Amino acid sequence: MSIINFIIYLLTMIGIYSLLAMSLNFQVGFTGLINFGQVAFFCIGAYTSSLLVVNAGVPVVVAFLAAMALSGIFGYIMSIPTKSLKSDYWAIATLASGEIVRLVALNEAWLTAGPFGVMGIPQILKDLISKDAYPVFYLLFVVVCIIMVYFFLGMLANSPFGRNLKAIRDEEELCLSLGKDTQKLKLQAMIVAGMVGGLAGALFAFYITFISPENFKPIETFLMWAMIIVGGRGNFKGAIIGAVVIQLFNVSTRFLGNYVPLGSDSMAALRMMIIGVLIILFLLYRPEGLIKEKKKIYD
Amino acid sequence: MLTIENLEKRFGSLRALDGVSLEVEDDCIVGLIGPNGSGKTTLFNVVSGFYEKDGGKIFFKGAQIDGLPPNKIAKKGLCRTFQVSKAPEKMTVLENMLLAAEHQIGEDPFSALFMRSRVQKSETANLDRALELLDMLQLSPLKNDYAGDLSGGQKKLLSLGRVFMLKPDMILLDEPTAGVNPTLRVQLMEAIKRLQEMEKKAFFIIEHSMKVISNICDRVYVLNFGQKIAEGTPEEIQQNEQVLEAYLGSA
Repeated sequence: MSIINFIIYLLTMIGIYSLLAMSLNFQVGFTGLINFGQVAFFCIGAYTSSLLVVNAGVPVVVAFLAAMALSGIFGYIMSIPTKSLKSDYWAIATLASGEIVRLVALNEAWLTAGPFGVMGIPQILKDLISKDAYPVFYLLFVVVCIIMVYFFLGMLANSPFGRNLKAIRDEEELCLSLGKDTQKLKLQAMIVAGMVGGLAGALFAFYITFISPENFKPIETFLMWAMIIVGGRGNFKGAIIGAVVIQLFNVSTRFLGNYVPLGSDSMAALRMMIIGVLIILFLLYRPEGLIKEKKKIYD
Repeated sequence: MLTIENLEKRFGSLRALDGVSLEVEDDCIVGLIGPNGSGKTTLFNVVSGFYEKDGGKIFFKGAQIDGLPPNKIAKKGLCRTFQVSKAPEKMTVLENMLLAAEHQIGEDPFSALFMRSRVQKSETANLDRALELLDMLQLSPLKNDYAGDLSGGQKKLLSLGRVFMLKPDMILLDEPTAGVNPTLRVQLMEAIKRLQEMEKKAFFIIEHSMKVISNICDRVYVLNFGQKIAEGTPEEIQQNEQVLEAYLGSA
């Protein structure tokens, strides 16, 4: 792989994970919903879009929208137990829901081809763009998606809706006492976050053109968390910067494996160790992350 | 406006509310006093829907409200503050005020994204009202400070401000003047009184300061060990033997 191609690959993966980190930040940083099953949205988005195109011949645009819709619905389902579970118990439950989605993908082979994964996912607009320019084209496509999501989520976060979410995060009982239906608000937040996660999944599937349950292990959720811990919560710039930092470590150490005489197993272990240390350092010395939540000032 | 019949609440074997009946009429300020642990805050928690009752009935504006979740009760126009003020840590004082405003547009994702101009209009109107109230509560200089950074007394003021933003028909205040400096305390009481006279709101207030109670309350109920032991005008209460023994005597 040439260095240019590698950099484009790295940037594209950073972009896709930025979306996942923004979605997670919307839940954790704004609504205070501790979701350890974020990878579920990623998985559902990837499988829904690719299966619809590969098996059912649905147009790609429809497949993307369906991926977002189904992930949004899954967000709705995930939000239901927030009614009866306290936030820490709900967090454990989300860990399970992430795994359940992956295990369904692994075991319902009639639909998902099980461990073999979905192969032959077509590249979007492949015929119109030359092979050399394609990686750049896809990177631009991802960037456009990020800009749109950044814009929409920012608009939501700055609206009365976003204000209600922040109040749930900080003082849920107060929200109730002011007549806010906090359950409904959480539900809406989870749908929005699910849709963004689903979009990331679809972008991922059509980028690497082959997905399997291996891509959606709990470690992915861990990486997304690392991104918002390092980047900072309660703002979307932080999520993007976090995605840059963590993906740089995650992807480039994989690439560096070719040059460092350590063997790929030790490199993989080392990679996770470095990210783990990074998280600890941030929690100790900069718990708010690289970018602090911005205060909303009225004149 | 608010009628409570035979209300009961138990925590294990403790009878926190033991058949309490009382009434708060429209257009008046009613006080609730009693020694620590007599069940005052529990009564508020049950009435506002935060605790489930174990018996009895609660009516607000003629409709039964016991069993409803807190947000539904607040929406009906019965609103409360908390003894230990709740202040969203990372939201500014102004954001807190806007949070509470009634009839907001843009509280769901759809209208927040696609009805921007109407959202803007309602925000501007609420902002004006919020600034006015903050002025009255002397919180204007702190309007862009995080609520989490305020002092205990300032948080009390802010919680009052929030409730006024909500414009409910009846307001339950749990020790609104605890931790507020004496000058401001007087102003606060005057503000409550003014609001009651101007906007005809009903207030139900838990308060330890007899001075505050006798200054603004039309009627006072006294609780002890979860039971109502007296009711009447502040003057009557101050002369009630039983009250003096249970409350003022022991204090």
